[in-house]
Amino acid sequence: MTDVPSAEFNIRDYLRTELFPHFMCPGCGHGIALRALLWALHELGISKDNLAVVSGIGCSGRVGAYIDANTFHTTHGRPLAFATGLKLARPDLKVVVLTGDGDCLAIGGNHLIHACRRNLNITCLLLNNEVYGMTGGQVSPTTTEARYTTTTPSGNHEPAFDACKLAEAAGAGFVGREMTLQTPALKNLVKEGMSHNGFAFIEVLSDCTEIYGRKNDLGESPEMILAQKAEFRSKDYGMERDEVFQPRSLATGVLSRNDHEEYTAAYRKHVLSKASS
Amino acid sequence: MAVASAKPAPRAVARPQNVLIVGVGGQGVIMVSKVLASLCQLQGYDVKQSQVHGMAKRGGTVFSHVRYGERVYSPTIPEGEADVLVALEWAEGMRWLPYLEQKNGTVFVDTQQIVPPFACRNRHRGAVGGYVRETVADIMAHVPNSFALDALGIATALGVPKASNSVLLGAMSTALEFPPDDWKEIIERFVPPKTVQANLKCFDSGRDWALSFDRDGLLEKHAESAPLTVETPREKPDDLSHIDIEANWCKGCDICVRFCPERCLVMNDQQIAEVAYPERCTGCRICEWLCPDFAITVKTPGAVA
Amino acid sequence: MAVPGLRHHREDARGRGLNDTGIQNIQGNHACAVAAVAAGCRFFAGYPITPSSEIAERISVELPKAGGTFVQMEDEIASMAAVIGASAGGIKAMTATSGPGFSLKQENLGYAAGAEIPCVIVDVMRGGPSTGMPTRPAQGDFMQSRWGTHGDHACIVLAPWSVKEIYEQTVRAFNLSETLRVPVIVLYDEVIGHLVETLDPGSVDTGEITTRKWAGGDPAQYRPYACGEDDIPPMARPGDGYRSHTTGLTHAENGFPSQDPTTVDRVARRVLGKLARHNDLVEQVDCYDLDGAQVLIATCGITARAAKSALRLLQDKGIAAGLFRPVTLWPFPEESYREAARGKQQILVPEMNAGQLIYEIQRLTPPGVPVAGFNRLDGEPITPRQIAERVEELLNHD
Ligand code: SF4
Ligand code: SF4
Repeated sequence: MTDVPSAEFNIRDYLRTELFPHFMCPGCGHGIALRALLWALHELGISKDNLAVVSGIGCSGRVGAYIDANTFHTTHGRPLAFATGLKLARPDLKVVVLTGDGDCLAIGGNHLIHACRRNLNITCLLLNNEVYGMTGGQVSPTTTEARYTTTTPSGNHEPAFDACKLAEAAGAGFVGREMTLQTPALKNLVKEGMSHNGFAFIEVLSDCTEIYGRKNDLGESPEMILAQKAEFRSKDYGMERDEVFQPRSLATGVLSRNDHEEYTAAYRKHVLSKASS
Repeated sequence: MAVASAKPAPRAVARPQNVLIVGVGGQGVIMVSKVLASLCQLQGYDVKQSQVHGMAKRGGTVFSHVRYGERVYSPTIPEGEADVLVALEWAEGMRWLPYLEQKNGTVFVDTQQIVPPFACRNRHRGAVGGYVRETVADIMAHVPNSFALDALGIATALGVPKASNSVLLGAMSTALEFPPDDWKEIIERFVPPKTVQANLKCFDSGRDWALSFDRDGLLEKHAESAPLTVETPREKPDDLSHIDIEANWCKGCDICVRFCPERCLVMNDQQIAEVAYPERCTGCRICEWLCPDFAITVKTPGAVA
Repeated sequence: MAVPGLRHHREDARGRGLNDTGIQNIQGNHACAVAAVAAGCRFFAGYPITPSSEIAERISVELPKAGGTFVQMEDEIASMAAVIGASAGGIKAMTATSGPGFSLKQENLGYAAGAEIPCVIVDVMRGGPSTGMPTRPAQGDFMQSRWGTHGDHACIVLAPWSVKEIYEQTVRAFNLSETLRVPVIVLYDEVIGHLVETLDPGSVDTGEITTRKWAGGDPAQYRPYACGEDDIPPMARPGDGYRSHTTGLTHAENGFPSQDPTTVDRVARRVLGKLARHNDLVEQVDCYDLDGAQVLIATCGITARAAKSALRLLQDKGIAAGLFRPVTLWPFPEESYREAARGKQQILVPEMNAGQLIYEIQRLTPPGVPVAGFNRLDGEPITPRQIAERVEELLNHD
């Protein structure tokens, strides 16, 4: 824990090393996602003192505590709502939300829609591992069809949904997706998202090796990461984004951007300036 | 069922008998305690079984209290009052020892060691692991009625490693008053039909092992052998290497080993990644990027370490 | 007691024509909004719900004038979360709601209590349960305000009975919340919420406006939940260099999750005990005619106003009755109540619910002294005459 990060990226400058080894399972993709985030912060030169990381409940929710910054581990599904208050109260802070597929898309779905619509300058990383890992492996809104979970003993019969399309439709200023396998690309995507003046929604395809992987016989950690490469098609390879959503055939990279006015700017312009004090 | 029809009148027990079964997630603590609870119930006792799963993640503590007697009220066993402690994992056994009735309590502990990520906390380079340090000799010296057995080893020797819990049940059956046949009757109901014979064989082996347990012999043997403690790998003075692996952070996921394009890394026998061929390393950093535990640092030549 | 006649009188939501500094006729909900800004509130997140919406409407006018932020969130849960987020950012923050919305806020109220993040929640009570009678008054949330959230927790509930007192207690709510790092609920019913009374903010003695204790000193030494004699840990403001962790999990003094039994017990006892420790700040009661009274009426909010009028009616009939009114409803002022109840022969607890406050009164009343209730569930306020008649009836039964 040094206060001034070195010029070269040393991840330990950004970690609460006294808490290590961290609490995620062996091979859990969330660690790789965390690296990409910290790497992006370093390259953007964001000060740890000015960084606030807000997370919810679940495995994704526990990731934030390892970052040597102002970290808030809030309630299930509510990190975006919490972050909205924090950012509005303190526009000077850089606010990052770490959330998971259950946290963000199920219990917190409403907050996601409206965070996108408000377009407040927050970066939201959805660590999507298709399952509720912390509670023992129950089905989530992004579980691939037919996969087994502890609450879909005969295979998941519900369709999964595309969070990026949702975010785009709801008005998020920046929407992107990347897999943990492509760590540098993920880092660059996070950098781009954080530089966007507005709400940035980034879906990170992560792996739950111990619970979801085992239950579905997806192999060990290396096999699961490799499968990301085999099964995802990059946008750069000409995939049509209008295709019917198919889990495991997702576009990656920057998926959409808009130039809607950022919320605090709009508030200053339309509300504060007109208020007679 | 034979057991049910042969239901004896409950023996007058002065106070409820307390059996505490502990282990880590996925080991079968719940199965073992269910077998015991059903057995007690069929013997005509009032039974209370309460269990706590730790976090449903790998390595979380799981424990189960089984209390039986003519009348049992509280479902939990107070500290220092367990008549029998059965531990499916070594460190868990050590952690729960204070629950054992100090004078007459009996402990059965599997020497199997599962190091959970939590146990590694606070480890720093070169330090002894956070995992418990007690050895077999230690525990036998402190608890008169202690049985440390390698259940997995016994089951593996019989060709059925998956039935190691039946070995423990067999050993534990020597400390409780129920006849072996009643135990077997219950085990039959709880294990998959195909594995009944294997499990019964394991039960017998476990029982035989406990009955012929040679405490002094084992003590002697262990006194000279190395302690059971998980050793923290030593720091390697490998100047050649550009790769620094924080062994205490590594969880042995194998990602770095499998992804290194030059095959520089291997998994050592502690399931920790190690640099085997530093000279092949090209400094591509793939291992560093993909290590979910931040255990690897690839030093760029010339950079200040 | 001009309550019924004024109940439906509404002001212009934008507060036009009102002189903020001078004497004004102002609605209870508006007084609440104005008081919050005066107390230093600079953030409000809310969601529309009758009969509390005027608070949001008024504060959406007042906050921007003070450079603060008003946001209408997507739901009640989000507004509570946003308030806690803003407060964690170091800004005084408030939300307002009514019964069903208050239920939705309970989840995050538990978080604020556990993580000790100051915040103020206003609950304007209406008839319930569920949608009930959104435009009619009730006092059905006495228990929800104390026990609505999950687990053992500390919280303060203030129950004003007039527009002026809404103003005072809203300011006091911020002071207490900031000083003690505890969620404070301002609880009143629809009648006072919509009541218009003359208020001179300048004449209200709100005392000193207090702000929470900020972390100071060497950041390397800072432990977010370590505290001195007063049991209130200083709070780190993001950006000040302390980089601490805040969680709803049980935590040790260093802020990180802990399940160590001794640590969990120690921290829990401190948090639960801190209000008792600062009882001199927390407790506030208002009593009338206790000396020589034969009957004690114990109630709060609008019903206490009716009870106060009833004292006169009873006096005219030669019955000596006194009034005990907890202004701080929770933690319940136990000692003060015991003191007030001493020597009384009959206790009456009138309330606009099926009987909630009466449980607390029964618990604290010496055995042998009869405790009776008078309850209205029809969405109408209890009148002084009803209370007086009930007292007479109780005495005649003897
Ligand atoms: S830096 Fe590249 S070549 Fe070197 S060990 Fe890591 S993966 Fe292998
Ligand atoms: S990737 Fe990291 S945790 Fe996994 S084996 Fe390699 S060093 Fe260990």
